[in-house]
Amino acid sequence: MEKDPLPDLRDEDLVAMCQRGERRAFDILVLRHMRRAYQIAFDFTHDYEEAKDLSQEAFLRAFSQINRFDGRSAFYTWLYRIIVNLCLDHHRRRGRFPWQRLNGEAPQTGEEREPATAASTPDQEAMAGEVKQRLGTALEGLPKSQRTAFLLRNHEGLSIPEIANVMQTTEGTVRVHLHRAVAALRQSLTGLA
Amino acid sequence: MAQQKHSPQPACRDFEETLVLYYYGDCEGPERDRAEEHLKACSSCSHFLAELGTFLPLMAKPKEFPQSFWDNYYGELRRKLAAGDPRESWWGGRFSWLRPLAVPALGAAMIVILALALPFTATIWRPQGQPGEEAAPQEIRTVAKNLDFFESMDLLESLDLLEALEEAKARNGHGQKL
Repeated sequence: MEKDPLPDLRDEDLVAMCQRGERRAFDILVLRHMRRAYQIAFDFTHDYEEAKDLSQEAFLRAFSQINRFDGRSAFYTWLYRIIVNLCLDHHRRRGRFPWQRLNGEAPQTGEEREPATAASTPDQEAMAGEVKQRLGTALEGLPKSQRTAFLLRNHEGLSIPEIANVMQTTEGTVRVHLHRAVAALRQSLTGLA
Repeated sequence: MAQQKHSPQPACRDFEETLVLYYYGDCEGPERDRAEEHLKACSSCSHFLAELGTFLPLMAKPKEFPQSFWDNYYGELRRKLAAGDPRESWWGGRFSWLRPLAVPALGAAMIVILALALPFTATIWRPQGQPGEEAAPQEIRTVAKNLDFFESMDLLESLDLLEALEEAKARNGHGQKL
């Protein structure tokens, strides 16, 4: 795959080039952000194909609407907003996401399978599976705003201001969503041996 | 070995939200100092923070894919971009501020055009010098006249046949008498 041929240019410069009709600039934006875009879609769907389709659809929409991007936020938060909205729409249409795949029930290829560590015993593995199962179920049960805030912070490492930008809300609201999500997830582990 | 059931210990009410942010590194300045000071003295909050560090990382394991996966992803997306190229034209952005007004404005313009055009079209397309109600059935009436003509022709032919029959009968009767 190609490397970023213009590493010195900022995203904003590439967006401006793209708005002037230089399509090649958008290809570079894809190169820079496709991994993160895919990861976000995967965190929402836990399905490899759906994650690919949704993240690619987000890029296509971003490309088609690039002239509407006004630069008030960073390009990647704008892109993540498109992805999150697509994922939430998809979730609404499709219903429940298969969160149980968190504990490894989904068929995995050799590349995806996690190697068992020497230190882990069958009991520990079973416990880890149970923990993931509970957390996955609890995550599914969260309101979408809490789930979104949690996934963007815990899984994607976005800062509170960035999440506020993606969710188009205030930082205070994000903090509250995040706290409630973590409290609910922690509560779901009650009773585990 | 006796197993201990896990029951989450509550953190101090005033600190729980701060500790979540502290865990993620989103707590700065005086808020961070206050949290650290509190953690030194409060075992419940220390335990709460330790728990977050145990279960939250379990949920976030970024997937590593081989380079071939990303090559395919990038190639496929580039093909989609090239095929669809759904981007707006250069003027689309310049006039994008008009877009919300476009539909109502177009609708209003159509109504005005129709309102102005209807009286003119009614005058232009009406056939001159003929009453409107007689213009349309003209062809139908011509056809009907032709039909009458052919019907009377059939009738005349039938009459001719009858007369010929009568004459033939009369002739035959006369011949027999002779």
